[in-house]
Amino acid sequence: MKKDNKYSTKYLRFLKKQRLDKITTKVYQILLLFVIIIVWEVLAQTKVIDAFFFSCPSKILTTIFELFSSGNLTRHIFITLNETILGFVIATLLGTFVAILLWWSEKLRAVLDPYIVVLNSLPKIALGPLIIIWVGAGTSSIIVMCVLICIVITTLSMLSAFISVDKEKILLMKSFGASKLQVLKKLVIPHSVGDFISVLKINVGMSWVGTIMGEYLVSKAGLGYLIVYGSQIFKLDIVLASTIVLCILACAMYGLVGIFEKKLKR
Amino acid sequence: MEKFLEFKDVSFNYFTKKTEFEAIKKLSFTVNEGEFVSIIGPSGCGKTTILSLIAGLLEPTYGQILLGGKKILNQDIGYMFQRDQLFEWRTILSNVTLGLEIKGKTKISDEMERLNNLLNKYGLSDFKQKHPSELSGGMRQRVALIRTLAVRPKLLLLDEPFSALDYQTRLDVCDDVKKIIKQEKQTAILVTHDISEAISLSDKIFVLTKRPAKIKRIIDLDFNDNLSPLARREDKMFSSYFNDIWRYLNEER
Repeated sequence: MKKDNKYSTKYLRFLKKQRLDKITTKVYQILLLFVIIIVWEVLAQTKVIDAFFFSCPSKILTTIFELFSSGNLTRHIFITLNETILGFVIATLLGTFVAILLWWSEKLRAVLDPYIVVLNSLPKIALGPLIIIWVGAGTSSIIVMCVLICIVITTLSMLSAFISVDKEKILLMKSFGASKLQVLKKLVIPHSVGDFISVLKINVGMSWVGTIMGEYLVSKAGLGYLIVYGSQIFKLDIVLASTIVLCILACAMYGLVGIFEKKLKR
Repeated sequence: MEKFLEFKDVSFNYFTKKTEFEAIKKLSFTVNEGEFVSIIGPSGCGKTTILSLIAGLLEPTYGQILLGGKKILNQDIGYMFQRDQLFEWRTILSNVTLGLEIKGKTKISDEMERLNNLLNKYGLSDFKQKHPSELSGGMRQRVALIRTLAVRPKLLLLDEPFSALDYQTRLDVCDDVKKIIKQEKQTAILVTHDISEAISLSDKIFVLTKRPAKIKRIIDLDFNDNLSPLARREDKMFSSYFNDIWRYLNEER
């Protein structure tokens, strides 16, 4: 930071206004959350809305607390987190690997093109019953579901990143006598780092979709199971409590990717 | 001076889905060692195709291209493109060593002193650890040239390397590049559609016909040896060369 007296007062005022803008935005964001919580609570307490159907913040909070103290919630969180992270990692690595293969062989790309289009447009959830029969009703079919939902978009995004490399840069590499592997390692992969980060961010969301879908279909435990279970016994507190825990976990995972991005960019 | 680069009846046909057309037909010329030759021609006459053929990125359909009497090898050639094509994720220094890294034959540490000298000599000493985005367009193009020279090419190919720069920078970089090429005694072939650029830089200009490209005229430029490209532009012979080439090109419309 340079000393303040180097700048005009107008510039300092401009900086101050910028800082202020940032702070007020944050304040409004937090305020909005509080308003929602308070209005919800008041409406429920004054019986304007039926807490049986809509639950209310205080009941959700006590439910989360109860579930935690009985040790159940930790178990459910751990199971879902485990499935999501496994699905996320497998889908990202496998999807990127397939993208590399497709980049490597133009023939393979041409041959597989219609299959990828079909796979991409197919709603993967339709394969649920098949997966359960083939893989078995358990954790593994949830992970397969999660991988299926993430992998196609990973492959397509990474492939389009690989292909977007400037043709002249490839000619440059060739004029130095680079092999295909060298073009991949020294040009195509470093060029695609930004897109890889975007894929990671997309996959954070998609892998939670995959896991919860999978849990709706087959699970005996996990947050998705908890949501289904809560709705079946008409305990909306459990449903909403699980949903909020889910929200927090997904945000945390997104945050981790953000930290990874900052590390990589430095 | 002896024959260095030889084109012997070189033809090249492009194939498309619908048809086959001749880009170059029985093209023959020679370039001597240490010469700076510009190739100029009507647009779409296959100038870049000629460079790609020399660089081995394309194979001639018929005919032979020789360098020093032998078939051209990839390592003989240095190629400079319209845009600098520096890698944004690498520092200036590691951009410059890219070619050596790929070839892997010579140890980079052996060449480091020479590369450092080149960077220092051409005003890039403070920027070695910077990234390309922190440099001006002219500096970037100088880095691109040093990256090309790093692999000690026998022949330097320049494909309109100044066309992406604004006019002011273009004149400056032109001077710089010519100086570097002259001092390093580099044989070079420049492809351009800019007549003034060709006259201000070269020893010799090949004017091509329209497609299929053949040599229409060879113009030997007879400037005082010490004139920089910018000084050539002010020389009294400049405009007569310009008018000649302008006329030749107009005949090819």
